[in-house]
Amino acid sequence: MQDVKKLATGHEAVVEACFDAGAKMMYGYPITPTTEVFTGWIKKGGEYLQTEDEIAAGFAVCGGVIAGQKAFTATAGPGHVLMQDALSMAEGMRLPFVAIIGQRGGPSSGTVIYSQQEVTLACFGGNGEGLRLVYSPSTIEELYFLTRVAFNSAWKYQYPTIVLTDGYLLKSRGVFVADKTIENAESYPLVKEGEKKHWRNIYTFEEELNEAVVRNKKDFDSIKKEVARSENYQTDDAEILLVAHGIVGGAAKDAINELRKKGQKIGLFRPITLRPFDNEAFDKIAMRVKKVVIVESSLGQLAQIVRAEMAPEIATPIEYIQYPALGIEAEKIVDYFL
Amino acid sequence: MFLKILLAGDGGQGIQTIADIVSKASFQKNWEISYIPNYGLEQRGGVSLAFVQISDTKINYPKFSKADILVILSEQARGRVENYMQPETKVFDYKDFADILADNKIGEKSLNIFALGWLVKILKGQNILETDIVNLLLEEKLGLKDIWDDNKWAYKVGLQ
Repeated sequence: MQDVKKLATGHEAVVEACFDAGAKMMYGYPITPTTEVFTGWIKKGGEYLQTEDEIAAGFAVCGGVIAGQKAFTATAGPGHVLMQDALSMAEGMRLPFVAIIGQRGGPSSGTVIYSQQEVTLACFGGNGEGLRLVYSPSTIEELYFLTRVAFNSAWKYQYPTIVLTDGYLLKSRGVFVADKTIENAESYPLVKEGEKKHWRNIYTFEEELNEAVVRNKKDFDSIKKEVARSENYQTDDAEILLVAHGIVGGAAKDAINELRKKGQKIGLFRPITLRPFDNEAFDKIAMRVKKVVIVESSLGQLAQIVRAEMAPEIATPIEYIQYPALGIEAEKIVDYFL
Repeated sequence: MFLKILLAGDGGQGIQTIADIVSKASFQKNWEISYIPNYGLEQRGGVSLAFVQISDTKINYPKFSKADILVILSEQARGRVENYMQPETKVFDYKDFADILADNKIGEKSLNIFALGWLVKILKGQNILETDIVNLLLEEKLGLKDIWDDNKWAYKVGLQ
């Protein structure tokens, strides 16, 4: 069933998605630009706990999900930094931890609305191996959809799962139709009432931890095909391939439409999951184009992932359009090619 | 059809109020809409911007670098938005309306609603929205405020 067309902000879409996903509890500490996810959840009657900081909010999510509660949190910037401790625990213990992250400018408190500088933190933060599922929506409609998907993936595969967005998408208001056809994965207690389970997040011997990390990585690799998502736009005859994620992917489409009018054969690969990265789909295009141009509002956090994931035998040259902490309108991308 | 509107003023001047009304009224006529507010940490005192886009196709990105219509309600705001102007941009600069505002006794508090009238006249001319929808939205939003009569008057003058 498709919902009616409505005018809504990104925040409102996230809150609606959390309710529709069957989330029962939000633990959080307010921070721009995700505060309205928290206040919106509360206004709609969601159960919540405002903790003393993001460290506590993160560990509260860990506790909630172990007890079988479909819990989540939302944070940003310095709050996202503080939450890495709990996210690492969720990675180590394989907890279905769902976080909505609204990227803001960094380092530190930076700016409060927009950047794409929390990619590395979301994908590889904490003292682990980056075994996380990270979704990067490009539109309000996709923000709703991927928030729904995030809860399902978290409970199905049991890795920390992040919807990585930004204040431009959260605070903008647009027309969207919610996809209400998605079925929800069930939550359940990871330790049952009365059950005695020796479940560790600290190990005595290096070998034990090594075994656990290798096992978790093997599982992560095995779900990659199912989880990894990407979008190709105008890539069939493309000679230049743009790579952009999140809302920059939207600006890239507008730029491609303009550049194609001027005769340039240009297309877009948009990773929808940053972890795992859909490298099979990417490689297929990257190997046949003349150059790859990675566009992002950071000094190379997406580029780092792309370079690491691209098959080593592909020798296509890579160029970069980087505006750290700054929005990238289509015109900025068009100008690069003229 | 793709229209990019940038509204600029000081925090507290009601920039977001008119952006909200214009985007809702256009949505009711079934257009694709994008509206994003942009203001600093201090919501009062700093410059307040609203980026509104109205289109018949999906809007991919909430911001833009050149505006088709630019509304300027303060000196401070002018400095921030001059780069968005291009030769064909339609500009409402409050300074150009000083005489009309004085003659009609339209005060600082209703300046945004006067500008809304000016904007609605243009959008109505392009069949983007209907004035009666705007009237309803305006009354819903501001009808209970004590300067409602002043606002109603400012809107009417702006429309002319």
